[in-house]
Amino acid sequence: MRRIVIALLLLAVAAAPAVAKEKVYGKGVAAREATPVSTVLAHPDQYVGKTLVVEGTVVGVCAHRGCWLSLASDVEGQTLRVKVEDGVIIFPKEIVGEKVRAEGVFKANRVEDTAKKCDATRDGEPEVQCTTVYELFASGAVCDWK
Amino acid sequence: MNGFRKVCRWLHRELGFFAVGLTLVYAISGIAVNHVHHWDPSHASYVAGSRIEPPGDGETETVAPLVLERLALQEPVKETWRAGRDVLQVFVQDGTIDVNLVTGEVVRRGNEKRPLLYDVNFMHLNKGKAPWTGIADAYAAVLIVLAVTGIFLIKGRQGLVGRGGVLMLLGIVLPIVYAVLARRA
Repeated sequence: MRRIVIALLLLAVAAAPAVAKEKVYGKGVAAREATPVSTVLAHPDQYVGKTLVVEGTVVGVCAHRGCWLSLASDVEGQTLRVKVEDGVIIFPKEIVGEKVRAEGVFKANRVEDTAKKCDATRDGEPEVQCTTVYELFASGAVCDWK
Repeated sequence: MNGFRKVCRWLHRELGFFAVGLTLVYAISGIAVNHVHHWDPSHASYVAGSRIEPPGDGETETVAPLVLERLALQEPVKETWRAGRDVLQVFVQDGTIDVNLVTGEVVRRGNEKRPLLYDVNFMHLNKGKAPWTGIADAYAAVLIVLAVTGIFLIKGRQGLVGRGGVLMLLGIVLPIVYAVLARRA
C-alpha cells in the first residue's frame, strides 16, 4: 500500500506543468518578419486580405472568453485588435503586458454608427455613418512569457 | 457469478475511495465553468484607486521611470505603455495600473486567482496539457470501471433486473433524448 501511495504522489509531482517561456496558440506563427503595427495602420487598405505577422505588447484582452487581444503599436496610443476564432484560441487574462507575435489575415469591417445597416443606401434610404474597423483575424500566435 | 460480483465489489470499493478527490475536482469545476457567461470562475476582479505626485505629460522616457519610482511597486513590472498623452499604463502580473500623468490619479485593475476554484478549473480545463492528460485519461478509465462494476453490486429486485435496471435505463435514455432534440434544434 505504501508503495502505491508513493508512486501516485510521484506521478502527481511529475505531472506538474513545466514553466514554459514560449507559449504557442492555435497554429503558431511562421518564421517571417513582423510588419510594424504603425506601418499597417498608416495605409491599412493596402494590407486588407493579406496574411501578416504583427508583434507588440498586449494592452487589452477579451475579459470573459479570451477571444481577442489588443496589440500596442510603436506609435503612442495606437493599437491593433487581433481577433481569433471563439473557443479555438483562448488568451488568458495574464497575457496583458506580454509580447505577442500573431499571424493572420488583415480585415476591414464596416461598423454602423447608427442602428441602420451600412448598406442602407441600396434601399434608397439616406446614407448612414459607418466606420471601418481594421483587425487581424489570427490563426495563431506566440507569446514569450516573462 | 458470485466470484465475479466479489471482484466487482472489491474494484468498486477501492477505486471508489481513490476517485473521491478527482470527482470533487471535476464536479465543482464543472458547475463553475458551466456558468462562464455569467462570471469568471477562475479570477475575481478588483479596482483600487490611489494617487501619486503627478510627473507631468513629458516624454515617455522621462516620465515612465518617475511613475515607477513613485508607485514603489513591490512586484515585478512586465511593461509600460503610453496609452495617451495623459496616460501611462503599467502592466504587472495580475493586472494593469493606469496613471494619469497630469493629475497623478492611479487606478489599478486586477484579477486575483480565486482560492480553490482557480486550481480545480486549471485541472478540469487541462491547462497543464500533456502530463495532466495522462492522469485525466486514467481517471476517466477509473470512472468507467466504477460505472460498470456498479451495475453488478446488488442482485435481485433492487439490482440490474429490477429497480437498478430501470434507473440505469433512465440515465442512458436522458442524454440520448437530449442529443436527438439538440440535433433537431
